[in-house]
Amino acid sequence: MIQTQNLTFKYKNQKTTIGFPDIHLKENEHLLILGKSGIGKTTLLHLLAGLLKPETGNLTINNTNINTLSSSKLDKFRGKNVGLVFQQKHAIQSLSVIENLQARLFFSNKKENQNKLNDLLEQLNLTTCKNNKINQISEGQLQRLGIALSVVHNPQVILADEPTSSLDDENCEAVINLLKQQAEKNKAHLIVITHDQRIKSFFENTMTL
Amino acid sequence: MNIWKISIKNLKSKSFYTVLSIVILALSITLLLGIQQIKSSFEYQMENNLGDIDLVIGAKGSPLQLVLASILHLDNPTGNINYAEAKKLAKNRLIKTAVPISYGDNYKGYRIVGTTDEFYNFYNAELAEGKFTEKSSQVVIGATLAKNLNLKLGDTFKSSHGLVDNAIDVHDDELIVVGILKPTQKVIDRLIVTNLETVWDVHDHDDEEHTNSHEAEHNDSETHEVHEHDNEHHEHDEHDEHDHETTDEAHHEHENHHEEDKEITSLLVQFRSPVALLNFPRKVNESSNLQAAIPKYELDRLYEFTSIGFKTITWIAYLILIISGITIFVNLYKMVKERAFDLAILRTYGASNLQLIKMIAYEGFTVAIIAFLAGFLFVKVGLTLVLKTARLGFKQNIIKTLTFEDGMQVAILVFIMVTLSIALAIYPILKMNISTILSNEK
Repeated sequence: MIQTQNLTFKYKNQKTTIGFPDIHLKENEHLLILGKSGIGKTTLLHLLAGLLKPETGNLTINNTNINTLSSSKLDKFRGKNVGLVFQQKHAIQSLSVIENLQARLFFSNKKENQNKLNDLLEQLNLTTCKNNKINQISEGQLQRLGIALSVVHNPQVILADEPTSSLDDENCEAVINLLKQQAEKNKAHLIVITHDQRIKSFFENTMTL
Repeated sequence: MNIWKISIKNLKSKSFYTVLSIVILALSITLLLGIQQIKSSFEYQMENNLGDIDLVIGAKGSPLQLVLASILHLDNPTGNINYAEAKKLAKNRLIKTAVPISYGDNYKGYRIVGTTDEFYNFYNAELAEGKFTEKSSQVVIGATLAKNLNLKLGDTFKSSHGLVDNAIDVHDDELIVVGILKPTQKVIDRLIVTNLETVWDVHDHDDEEHTNSHEAEHNDSETHEVHEHDNEHHEHDEHDEHDHETTDEAHHEHENHHEEDKEITSLLVQFRSPVALLNFPRKVNESSNLQAAIPKYELDRLYEFTSIGFKTITWIAYLILIISGITIFVNLYKMVKERAFDLAILRTYGASNLQLIKMIAYEGFTVAIIAFLAGFLFVKVGLTLVLKTARLGFKQNIIKTLTFEDGMQVAILVFIMVTLSIALAIYPILKMNISTILSNEK
């Protein structure tokens, strides 16, 4: 369950405060947040991930009010419960595909399960490149690794920031399907933030900023 | 997976900079450790060789030369002194022991020192095999010498005149090895020790020949003068002013077996109490033709001359250390700045600031520890090679192993510097705004 109330945010060195509509997601519900560039989509996503502190308002994820957590507890909470997918697909350059997933598990204090890791690699078609360094894999593989990294630790929320904006129609659909599939497997909420109108039809709940 | 593994992977992924940092740091550590080892070996060697010798009495000249020649056996002697006069001085009640030494010959560059049995006590030298000398022509040799020249008990050799190895001016008398000393790490390891008579006999025989072959050229007055001198030599204090006549005198006196008129090179003195150092040397220097030099004082003067060189190299080493510190800092800082996005991603993985700082610190300390071990190894191997090729230490093993304290001192210095570099490099992490970094990447 995710719930926000009267979330507002004030940028540093700026006078204006921006407010966001309340979000209320029940179990197994997903949400698509649409909006033009520069309207504060990423800011909202970072607020949901606990990367930014709101000026006012409350954010509750599964009965934890994350605004009240200390920054070190927030780090732990994020590591355990939140999975992030970035537009610019990124992973740690000095590690291989499998090592990135292992590092993700390490920092979220979750045990490594070799079978589960292999299953995930199989589902996302990454088995062949699992020992490659990040600069040795293709764009598509990197995109799928991004999804794998956001779900490997069984999070409760998957937050995706413009996951499809640089993809063609075919891949766009594939990525959204993968994200939904992984979210359902983990019984996690999927919240996608985008200006990409193509994926509107994949979501029951949409919200426009 | 853990932080250690990530640090190591990071280091491997930028192996060029890692190796560069290690090499520069190792170089400065090598220099620092090397200088420290050479310096402490040098001083240890010098002071060790002093043994219990408080004072050297020899002919007038440079006091440093007298010390170098008579104690460290590195330089030429200042001249000879009269044994009788030296003995008279030695009777002073402030003196505990006074050991006469006489030298002027060598065998293959190793000095032959004529002395008394008390000489061994200065160096706590013990016999490894054989016995001490009992009569003329017998010698006891030091451990280094026995090893380098492969001499055994019963071996005989002929000495050559002077202190440099030569095949031209070889004495006729054969010397026989009767004893070999245990290694002492002191100067006696490279000396051939014999009694005073051996040195006198070798030269008397030579003088005899010399005198006989030139007898025609010597006039009666000289012989007359010698006899005259002979009668009153106990009252004559300015004995060794008749330097040009001493060879003839020695010849005559040898026939009469008057040991008192023999010559020695110097007298090594040990006092009953250090208080004697205050007045005794001055008295000798002022009231006789002899010179008294305090080895400790002269060596301290020598360190002052040589320390300029040591200081210069030490400063260069510190400079390189600072440069290597900056290199490490730049590499870590670059890693933090260039990989800000990586670090931000790690934060979204759930890593805390502390974990990121640990990661950077592990990288820095890994470089430092590898460099320190490499530096330590370079010093060990390097110094051994240098000493082997340069033949430093005057045919003697002078290398003193690095003490734990020496190593620790450099280690602490490196540790402080690396810690400082890391502390500066992690500053951006503390100021990191993950949200901004992640947003800006778009």
